[in-house]
Amino acid sequence: MHAPGACVQAVGVVTGWGEGLAALPVDAARAAATRTTLAIPRPSLTGERFRRATRECLLGIAAVRALIEETAQRSGDIAGESTALLYVTAAAYGASNRAFVEAATAGTLRFPYTAPSAVPAEVAIEFGLTGPYVIFIGGATTTIEALAHAAGLVERGECERALVLAVETFEECEDLYARGRWLIGRPLVEAAACALVGPGSGRLTVTEAMSASALTRQTRQRVGETLACEPLIALALGLESGDDLAVTGEWRGRRLSLVSEPAMRSITNGAQT
Amino acid sequence: MVQEDPVTVSPRVDPVVIVAAGAVTSIGADLETFWSGLVDGRDGISTIERFRVDDLRVGRAGEIKHVVLPPGQRPTDCRASLLLLAAAEDLLRRCSLDADPARIGVVVGTALGGVEELEHALDKDGRVSRAAAALYDSPGRALARRLGARGPELTVSTACASGATALGIGADLLRADRADLVVAGGFDVLCRFVMRGFDALRALTRERVRPFDRRRTGLLLGEGAALVLMARDRDARGPRLGRLLGHASTSDGAHIAAPHPEGRGLQAAVRGALAQAGLDPRDVDFVSAHGTGTVLNDRIETAVLKKCLGSRAGEIAINSIKGGIGHTMGAAATLEAIMCLLASRDGIVPPTHGYEEADPECDLDYVPLRARRLRPRVSLSTSLGFGGCNAALVLEGSPA
Repeated sequence: MHAPGACVQAVGVVTGWGEGLAALPVDAARAAATRTTLAIPRPSLTGERFRRATRECLLGIAAVRALIEETAQRSGDIAGESTALLYVTAAAYGASNRAFVEAATAGTLRFPYTAPSAVPAEVAIEFGLTGPYVIFIGGATTTIEALAHAAGLVERGECERALVLAVETFEECEDLYARGRWLIGRPLVEAAACALVGPGSGRLTVTEAMSASALTRQTRQRVGETLACEPLIALALGLESGDDLAVTGEWRGRRLSLVSEPAMRSITNGAQT
Repeated sequence: MVQEDPVTVSPRVDPVVIVAAGAVTSIGADLETFWSGLVDGRDGISTIERFRVDDLRVGRAGEIKHVVLPPGQRPTDCRASLLLLAAAEDLLRRCSLDADPARIGVVVGTALGGVEELEHALDKDGRVSRAAAALYDSPGRALARRLGARGPELTVSTACASGATALGIGADLLRADRADLVVAGGFDVLCRFVMRGFDALRALTRERVRPFDRRRTGLLLGEGAALVLMARDRDARGPRLGRLLGHASTSDGAHIAAPHPEGRGLQAAVRGALAQAGLDPRDVDFVSAHGTGTVLNDRIETAVLKKCLGSRAGEIAINSIKGGIGHTMGAAATLEAIMCLLASRDGIVPPTHGYEEADPECDLDYVPLRARRLRPRVSLSTSLGFGGCNAALVLEGSPA
């Protein structure tokens, strides 16, 4: 069934500052002091599958769990073909790629985890997600495109809901980022965030942006550099504060804005209550 | 499961026109040479010469021996970008991008991006620019820059289904009026990274690649790039290769590397693509299968096609082009989609290179030995990849 529109209903967030938005400092640069990277420790999940999985895979699962807690759902509520999974990352595959390049021997089980698709695969397995599935590579502008794509899937009735998941890790490639420190901001803050996009009467549309939105500037100041996760964390902050949800994203010299029509606000609030 | 009885459905989305295509493969450095190579059964598999393979079980693949350098490029530049730009040069010989640059989108699919550059960046004296080029979306950026495209710019990485997902996302951008033209496709290169990986998985055969054949023992990799120019049906003028009628990409949610044992996700993708096209399984004239030549893939894919196409499955011509060019990963599904449209244009379906002996578990019509005179109107193309990725495209050819 087609939906008249779509909206972001909730966002689960894990960052190098801790779990949830409450862990975020007021000023990331000041809080980081001399630290250039704020890593997230490997989540402790038990089971053979999780023993093999990379840290970024487990962070993806942690972000979806945070979303489920945020929405007071059970994980079974999102299982099946009715939920789309859209994954975005600029560079979270860097750690596994590097480990594979530098390993003396190519372990049989290691290679599949070098693919960017490993993160959403583990998430899909964990939560039984078998619906529409896309893996985007890129930074914050790509996340904005993914959110718009999710809205399109919901509006066309190709799914009932869509998860837009982003994961970024930096620790294992810290030296490479240090060599290219002019390319991206500081501090580098590892993050995993997952937004739930569902039906609503509002519309999510993408436009070119001339400057960063106030919400995005605030997010950057509070969190630091999180690449593809930034728009999702910004949405989480916007939903929490009830402020304007205009989110922008920058990547490779481009800047996009995700415009949410006003109707989205009431739907969002309705979903939260 | 798809119903076998006729179902009256209407398309859920507007079809998108595929205006023209460009390709670079081990059997041809341009579209028409690639196409004639498929029809003639040319073998593009050889011993890899570009990097060390003496420590691997298998050192053969569909390697492109000579890349015609696109303008302004050097041989030492990122090879993934070089192949993608070479495919773009081929595409631009067949069409022009007549649109506001801000309304031209670029969507490319890849399994590996520029990962070979990471190997260089980690060298003792590696430059940081090579690390930046190792980001999987760097070749797509290079393509957008070459085309002067300033519209949406996306890289997708649904593993070896990426080339299909890219076409689907490109069509969605057009339907959403985010662009007036979209250049979409896929690419991937052979490098030590991927050869070591597949070698460790023991997925590579030491023999000939034989998709769907009883004696099949695995796949061989290949490299290549393929691009198409897409436009909305109402906007397209002049000659066209055909139309993309429907697309779906789905998740297995079952295993990190192996396909679902019953092909659950692939079935859903085929159903979804046909539903989006508003077509019944009985409308399908031809299937371009993923057909890697591994025991598991070909058996599962055959079972899925039987379930989805019902009683007609045995009557429909099915081929795999991976025997001749290798599994070109991110490029594969785009090359296969282009092959479907060229089959409609010329009224001939390429054979399944390497297929000779029937397997009781793979008992459909795989177009053995030689090309077949057949002009499919509607083609189905299926793809699978690591991470439980599945994709299906429904294409309609335009006769020449």
